Amino acid sequence: MKKLVVLCILFTSILSAQNKHTISGIIKDVNNGETVFGASVFLKGTANGVMSNEYGFYSITAPEGTYNLAVSYLGYTDIVQEIVLNKSQKLNFELSEAATQLDEIVITAEESESVSIRKPQMSVSKVNVATIKKMPVVLGEVDIVRSIQMLPGVTNNGEASSGFNVRGGAVDQNLVLLDEAIIYNTSHLLGFFSVFNADAIKDVKLYKGGIPARFGGRVSSVLDVRQKDGNNKEFKLTGGVGAISSRLAVEGPVFNEKGSFLIAGRSSYAHLFLKMAEEKNSAKFYDLNLKTNYILNENNKLYLSGYFGRDSFNIEGGFESSYGNLSGNLRWNHIFNNKLFSNVSLIYSNYDYELTIDAFEFDWVSSITNYNVKYDLKYYASDALKLDFGINGIYYDFDPGAIDPTTETSPINPLQLEKKTAFESGLYVNAEHKITDKLTAQYGVRLSSFTRLGGQVLVDYENELPVVYNNTLGIYQAGNSIGETEYSKNDEIKTFQNLEPRVSLSYQLNEFSSVKAGYSKSAQYIHLLSNTQSVSPLDVWTPSGKFIKPQLSNQYAIGYFRNFNDKKYSLEIETYYKTVENRIDYIDGADLIGQNTIETEILNGESRAYGLEFLLRKSKGNFTGWLAYTLSKSEQRTLGGAAGGPGINNGAWYKSNHDRTHDISLTTSYELNKKWRFGSNLVFQTGRPVTYPNGEYQYEDITIASYSDRNSDRLPAYHRLDVSATYTPSRKPNKQWKGEWVFGINNIYNRKNAAAISFGQNRETGANEATRTSIFGIVPSVSYNFKF
Amino acid sequence: MKTYFKSIVLIISIVLTSCTDVIDVEVQTAEARLVIEASLDWEKGTIGNEQTIKLSLSTPYFNSEENSIVTGAQVSVINNNNQLEFIFEDQNNGEYTTSSFVPELNHDYTLIVQYNGETYTADETMMPVADLDAIYQSTEEGFDDEVLEVNADFVDPIDEENYYLFKIQKQNDLLPVLLDISDKFTDGNQISVYYEREEDEDINQEEFAVGDIVDVEFYGISKQYYNYIGLLILQYESIGDPFSSTPVALKGNCVNTTDTNNYAFGYFRLTQKVTASYTFE
Repeated sequence: MKKLVVLCILFTSILSAQNKHTISGIIKDVNNGETVFGASVFLKGTANGVMSNEYGFYSITAPEGTYNLAVSYLGYTDIVQEIVLNKSQKLNFELSEAATQLDEIVITAEESESVSIRKPQMSVSKVNVATIKKMPVVLGEVDIVRSIQMLPGVTNNGEASSGFNVRGGAVDQNLVLLDEAIIYNTSHLLGFFSVFNADAIKDVKLYKGGIPARFGGRVSSVLDVRQKDGNNKEFKLTGGVGAISSRLAVEGPVFNEKGSFLIAGRSSYAHLFLKMAEEKNSAKFYDLNLKTNYILNENNKLYLSGYFGRDSFNIEGGFESSYGNLSGNLRWNHIFNNKLFSNVSLIYSNYDYELTIDAFEFDWVSSITNYNVKYDLKYYASDALKLDFGINGIYYDFDPGAIDPTTETSPINPLQLEKKTAFESGLYVNAEHKITDKLTAQYGVRLSSFTRLGGQVLVDYENELPVVYNNTLGIYQAGNSIGETEYSKNDEIKTFQNLEPRVSLSYQLNEFSSVKAGYSKSAQYIHLLSNTQSVSPLDVWTPSGKFIKPQLSNQYAIGYFRNFNDKKYSLEIETYYKTVENRIDYIDGADLIGQNTIETEILNGESRAYGLEFLLRKSKGNFTGWLAYTLSKSEQRTLGGAAGGPGINNGAWYKSNHDRTHDISLTTSYELNKKWRFGSNLVFQTGRPVTYPNGEYQYEDITIASYSDRNSDRLPAYHRLDVSATYTPSRKPNKQWKGEWVFGINNIYNRKNAAAISFGQNRETGANEATRTSIFGIVPSVSYNFKF
Repeated sequence: MKTYFKSIVLIISIVLTSCTDVIDVEVQTAEARLVIEASLDWEKGTIGNEQTIKLSLSTPYFNSEENSIVTGAQVSVINNNNQLEFIFEDQNNGEYTTSSFVPELNHDYTLIVQYNGETYTADETMMPVADLDAIYQSTEEGFDDEVLEVNADFVDPIDEENYYLFKIQKQNDLLPVLLDISDKFTDGNQISVYYEREEDEDINQEEFAVGDIVDVEFYGISKQYYNYIGLLILQYESIGDPFSSTPVALKGNCVNTTDTNNYAFGYFRLTQKVTASYTFE
C-alpha cells in the first residue's frame, strides 16, 4: 500500500511537474486591425518568449503557474497582463501606438529584453516602414530599396542601376519577395525608384546571410516585403502628391468586418509636363498594389494579394520600351491547434519587357513567368524548441525573346529564341533550439532540386565544348556545332539536387551582449545575364541546364551584438566570408542580344567576398539614427577550364563590378517639436571598379583606345548629402484630415558623382578626352502627404 | 503660376537628362605595341593593284605626340591559292606600298611583317560585296523624322552569311563614322542604312544641309573581321553610357610567331568595296 501511495504521489508529482499549457493567439494593431509581425510575447521573469510570425500568430508553452505575460513591439505601448496558466488558452492582443512625442523608431534587429540578443538569427535587418518614411526621400518618393542601402553590407551599382548588391553579391543573387511572390526587377525608371509603394507596405526584412531554410533559390540575400492587410475597422485614405509622381491608397473593412482590403496606386506624371514643354522624350511608371483578406473563422483566414507595375520610355517617338512585374498570391492560413500554424500559398509571377524601334522596324518581347505552390508549417513544440518545415515548388517559363517586324517593308525576319521551361522544388526542416539558458541554436537543412525540362532543341558541340580558345588569335570563340538534339516535352534535359545546411548559434555573454556565428550553404538555379556595367531592365533571366551550372555558395559569419545605456544605443559588428562556385562571366566581346546559344559566350568561374560590417544605432530620444561602415572586398576569377586558354583577365582574380572597399552611411532624424522634423543621409563609397585605357593607336582614320586589365582602375569616390524637413501643421483633434509637407534637397553640395566615365575622341579636335556622365546633381523636391 | 510651372519642368529635366562633362583622369600606360593597318581594299570596277599597308606604334592615351612611325620593317603578302608574292616597299613614313597587287575574290592571302627581329603573320580571305542599289536622302527614314539623312540600299544575298562595313564621312569633317552590319536578322532582304546628324551644341555638330557632300564606302567583310570591327565600333562609340559592356583588348588577326604575348594591334583584311558620293539637295 505504501508503495502504491508513493508511486501515486511520484506519478502525480511527475505529471504536475510536466503539466504544461500553451497560450496562443494573434497580435494586432488596435487602430487598423493589421496583424503585427515580430512583436515579442514573453513571460516576464522567465526566459520564455517568442516573436509573432508574419501573420501575427504566436504560441508559448510553459509549466502551470501564474505569470505576467508581456507583449511589446517598437513604437507601441507594451501590454502586461496577468494570466493564470492552468489550461491551454487562446489570447489575442491589440497593441496601440505609443504617444508620438518620443519617437523611438529606428531599424531594429529584434526588440525586447530577453529575446533580442538571444536569437541565433544573425545578418538580418528588419525595417519598419515608419522608419523609412522618416529618411530623406528622392524626388518626394519614399524608397525601400534606397533605404536598405543605408545598412552595412548593402550597396547598389550606380545611380542608373536597377537592383542592389548585398555583401559583394550580384543583383540576381537577391531573392526579392512581395507577399511571397518573386519580383524580378525591383526598379522603376532605371533605378531611380523602387517598385515598392511604401503606403502599401507593412514590413521589410533583409537577410544578408544566415538565410533560414524556408528560403531558397538565391545565394546572397532575401528581401522579404509584406504588404499591409488593410484597415479592417474603418475606411482610410492615404496619399501623397510630389513633383514627379503621386500616390493614393484606399483601405477599409469588407465582408461585414470579417475582412479588409487595400488598394494602392502610384503614377508618375512628369511625361505630361514634358509634352507640354515640347520635349520629345518621356518616361513614366505606374503601379498598383491590392490586398484583401477574409476571416473564415478563428482558425482560418484567406488572403488575396496582387501587384502590377509598369515602366514606359519613349524617346523621340522612335524608340519605345516598356517593362514591368505582375504578381498574384492566394493564401490560406490554417491554425491546426495552439501549437501548429500553417500557410499554403498559390502564387503567380511574371516579368516582361518590350522594345520597339521604328527606324529599324522591329519589336522585341521577352518574359519570365512562374507558378509557385508552397506549404509552410510552424510547430511551437515547447519553450525550448520551435520547428518549421515545409515544401515549395516553382514551375518556370522563360521566353528569351521574340523579334517581329513592325511594317511590311521591314528588313527584319521574324525570330523566336528557344523557349525554356524548368521546375524547381525545395523541402526544408528547421529547428530553433534553446540548448541552455545562454546558448540558442538554429539549425536546418533544405533539400533543393531543379529540373530543366524539355520541349526545345539544343545544339550539340564538338567535344561538348560550346566555347573554345583559339590559340592563334588568343581569343575565345564559339565551339563547332555538330548537330542538334530535340528534347520532347516529357524529357528532362538535366536535373540538379543540392542539400543546403543552414546553421547558426547565439551565445549570450551577459544581459546586454552576445556573440553569434553561422554557416549557410545555398544553391541558385536561375541567373540574370548581363554583361553591361550597370544592370539594365533588358537583361535576360536564364535557367541552369546542360551548359550552365547552378551557383553554389558557402557563407560563414561571426558577430558581436551589444545594447548599452539602457538600450539607447546598440552595436552590431559582423564579419563574413562568402564563396560562390559557378559564377558565370562573359568572354571578351560577348554578344548577348538575340543570342539563342548563350553557352557560346560564357565561361564558368568562381567568386569570393569578405568583409567587416559595423552598425551603431541610437534608437531613443529626439535624435535618432545610425552609422554604418563596411570594409569589404569582392572579386572573381574565370579560368578557361575545358575550353582551354588562360580564361578572362588571363586567369587572374579581378574585382567584381560591385566591389566597394569602404561604404559609410550615416542617417539621422531629429524631432525638434510636434511640427518640425529634420532628417539627413550622408553616403560615402569607394568608386566602382572600371577598366580604363592604357594606350591608343590609329586605325581607319580614328583613334582607338587599348585597355588595361579588367576592373583595375576605379571611378572617383561616390559621396553625397541629402537633407529633408517635414512640417506637420497642427490640426484640431477632431479633424480627420492629417497632412504633412516634406521638403528635401538631394545631393545638397551638388557633387557630380560619376555614373560612368568613358573615353573617346573629341569630334572637333580629334584629341582624346575622358567624359564623365553624372545623373543627379542637386535635386530639390517638395511633396505633400495626407491621411484621411 | 508660370514660374511655378517652369520650376517643375526644370526639376524634371534635371532628372531625365543626365549631364556629361569632360574631366581630367589619370590612366595607366602600357608599353608600345606594333599596329598593323593592312586593309587591302579592291574598289569594284578598278584593277586594285595599288595597295598600302600602314605600320605604327601605340602611344600613351593622353599623349599622342610621341613618335609612333615605324620604318625599317619588311612587309609582304602571299596569295595562298596561286603562290603569288607581293612585296610592299618602305616609304619611310610608316607606309608600305605596292602597285603590283592582284586581288582575286575568295582567295586566301597571308601577310608577313618582320619588325624589330620578330615576325608577325595573318591570314584572311578576299571578300566580295553586293552592289549599292541606291543612295538618296530623306527625313522620315531615320530616327528623327524632321532631320535630313543620307540612305543607302543594297540587297543581301540569300542563304549565305554576309557581313558588311560602311565608312561614311561628311566632307570637311575630321572623323568618319563606321557602321558594321550582319544579315543575322535580315538574310536575303533589301537592307537600308541611314546616316543622320542631329544638332548638338556640345560637339559643334549641325544637321545636314543643302550642299553638304557625304562620301560613302561600302565593304564586304569576313565574319572574323566583323567580330573585330564590331567590338571596335562598340567600344569607340559607348561614350557616357553606363550600360556599356566592360571594354576589352581588341585582338586582331596579326599573330607574333616569335613571341605570342607580343601580338600586334590592327587587322589584315581583304575586301571588295563600292564607293559613292552624295550631295544634299
